[in-house]
Amino acid sequence: MVFLTKRGAFRHALLLSSLLILASCNPFSRGRDEKTFRVNIGTEPPSLDWSLATDHVSFNVIANLMVGLTEFDKNLKPAPVIAKSWDILEGGRKVVFHLRDDVTWSDGQKVRAQDFEYSWKRLLNPKTASEYAYILFDIVNAEEFHEGKVTDEGLVGVKAIDDWTLEVRLKHPTSYFLSITTFEVTYPQRQDIIEKLGSKWTEPDHIVTNGPFLLSSWKHENEIQLRANPNFFLGKPAVEQVEMVMINEKTTALGLYEQGQLDFLDNHSIPTLEKPRLAKAPGFRHVPQLRGYYYGFATDRKPFDDTRVRKAFSMAIDRSVFPKILHGGELPATSWIPPGMLAHNPKIGPLYNPPEARRLLREAGYPDGKDFPRVTLAYNTDEEHKIVAEAIQSMWKRNLGVLVRLENQEWKVYLKKLQSDPPHIFRLGWGADYPDPDNFMKLFTALSGNNNTRWKNSRYDHLLELAAREMNEQRRIRLYNEAQRILCEADAPIVPLFTTAETTVLNPRYTGLEYSSMGRLVLRHVRLKESIQSPPPAARGRDKSA
Amino acid sequence: MRMAQRFSARWQGNPLLLGSLAFILIVTLGALLAPLLSPYAPGGFDEKRILENPGWDHWLGTDELGRDLLTRILYGARVSMVVGFGTALIALLIGTIYGSISGYAGGALDNLLMRIVDIFYGLPDLLIFILLSLLLGRNIAGILIALALVTWVRFARITRGQVLQAKELIYVDGAKAIGASHVRIILRHILPNILAPILVTLTFSVPAAILAESTLSFIGLGINDPYSAWGTSWGTLAQDGWRAMRTYPHIIFFPALAIFLTILAFNFLGNGLRDILDPKAR
Repeated sequence: MVFLTKRGAFRHALLLSSLLILASCNPFSRGRDEKTFRVNIGTEPPSLDWSLATDHVSFNVIANLMVGLTEFDKNLKPAPVIAKSWDILEGGRKVVFHLRDDVTWSDGQKVRAQDFEYSWKRLLNPKTASEYAYILFDIVNAEEFHEGKVTDEGLVGVKAIDDWTLEVRLKHPTSYFLSITTFEVTYPQRQDIIEKLGSKWTEPDHIVTNGPFLLSSWKHENEIQLRANPNFFLGKPAVEQVEMVMINEKTTALGLYEQGQLDFLDNHSIPTLEKPRLAKAPGFRHVPQLRGYYYGFATDRKPFDDTRVRKAFSMAIDRSVFPKILHGGELPATSWIPPGMLAHNPKIGPLYNPPEARRLLREAGYPDGKDFPRVTLAYNTDEEHKIVAEAIQSMWKRNLGVLVRLENQEWKVYLKKLQSDPPHIFRLGWGADYPDPDNFMKLFTALSGNNNTRWKNSRYDHLLELAAREMNEQRRIRLYNEAQRILCEADAPIVPLFTTAETTVLNPRYTGLEYSSMGRLVLRHVRLKESIQSPPPAARGRDKSA
Repeated sequence: MRMAQRFSARWQGNPLLLGSLAFILIVTLGALLAPLLSPYAPGGFDEKRILENPGWDHWLGTDELGRDLLTRILYGARVSMVVGFGTALIALLIGTIYGSISGYAGGALDNLLMRIVDIFYGLPDLLIFILLSLLLGRNIAGILIALALVTWVRFARITRGQVLQAKELIYVDGAKAIGASHVRIILRHILPNILAPILVTLTFSVPAAILAESTLSFIGLGINDPYSAWGTSWGTLAQDGWRAMRTYPHIIFFPALAIFLTILAFNFLGNGLRDILDPKAR
């Protein structure tokens, strides 16, 4: 009845118009056009400056804006991109890259060797404060320059001989050095742009890039828009536009995908327990990742200062359950170097053996878990980590008679706690920065800033040094095998649990999306399937309403 | 005698009240006797029975680790009941004392004490819950204190209003005239006469606290320790389930139903008690 009164009608008209205004503000209420590909990146990328970026989200945006000297091929070997070839000279102590002369920046200038020299020295410069500076420490004087012991950057072993030749001098032969050049932090940069604009150089109006897409807009905490680069030297991408939205909540992202408002989802957008249902959908797949998931022990704290206790805890875990409870194609692991990487060896590491685990615990003075001190297992807040922690808590209770206390914290708080006061047992993961075992194994050296176990073994550190300098693949594998036996069997400061896989689902109307084992979303080959001529029914409906 | 009969007749004439009371008793007994009622352990991981639908072996189905959902809900009821009653009682104690002093003293002290209450009222509840539970830790005691610190103001206001009215009544003047102390007047003469509205507020505070605890749990700040005697709170169970709502609706449905029915029962109980104790309000 209220509609019949003048005031009521006005009120409802006002309400209706407000709703319409609100709906028009919603980015998802716009009509879909077929040339726009939409993905959810989950959160705001902290930085699009590839000297400063450290996280998966930032690198996934950068990987579509930029290319570097090399990229890894399907066998995880470096393949030419801007570098058309390279020479390894002086027994591996000098690498000379020969650059293509047809690669241009988005402002039309050529990409030159000087842009790499500038970028690498900027990464190393202590003023830049890059967390990834250490990645280039194998270069002559690089570490010294970063630590301020060498102030003349001309002494750092990277130099543009001419516009198309880049020379790198290494302290010693470094078997994995070419792999490093696949990593985004080594991509070239424009000195003139950065020096002119300072920290604002990554904003859409200023940024200069050389990759398949250009940055059109960046609405912070909301959406990033990319458009195809018509001058990309390897060919313009098929999709005209990419929208990268930032939806933190997995259930919301999944709902939008199912309504046809998003075209691609990965682990950051798929709730764990929805994976079995989605597995039946077209476009669903698990992509094995070079990413290890492990539990570490605080080896300087009782009772985990006793190797027998650590081994007992490792042997009491039945790793075969993880793919069943996480539904994400996880590969159970007892050793640390992941499958797909050189020196992966599934035969290393403790097998599930509850009687032996109980024997070790008894030997350590805790028969059937009796008198075992109260210990805490900590993880960062996340539904998958919680499932894993509760499953392992249950296995330890069943197999060892030990009940550990669970504790979870937000990521930043958690990281601080790991640095300052590591809990008895903690969860962490490691994703490869470059596809070489060196990147995985160095995590647990005595000097590694990420070794929260506080475990030290000089033999282990020495083996890694030898393996890094060894150019013969078979001999490298033998060295890593020995190091892995120390890490996973003899000393067991960590319990490798599984290698993760990325669960992805792609709108079946599209093809060509590449999700690499390094966790990079490569969009440059994405295109609509040829058989698809007309828009889908859902999209037609939205076009009408928009 | 006639009054007692009338009271009993009102109870019997209110089936919702009796039903709610019976339901609350069942939940309380279920929580207390959980280890005897269920053949399963609340933390028992069973990899062979992951995410089963409700059936004969597991009446309400199993969760993502094959744990029996009914068992988890029974153990979780302990958290809800203790938080509900505990919060209400602590708030009752603080709020009644505070409100009595304020109402009885009157004047500047009353003014000051009530402005403090206003400040508490003005604070956003959820934010305070979150901050306090982070400060005090994610355990029963921490959550009890956090919720009580927000809930007591409701009792303080009700008590103060009732005391303001009651202290003007003739029997209080009488007590003053024979030289009774202030404490005696409040405890022996005023409080017994204003008990009904306080009791009704108490009944409504229990479900409010259960809901607040469930909300805290749902946003990830609740109690989750599958092996402790406290189990995992209903809100945490619902939080675990909501992401799988479309594929395995039973994981969220049953904990949410438990929260819903319990809160409904307490609200019916509160309404019923108000009807019985305050005939004017009918």
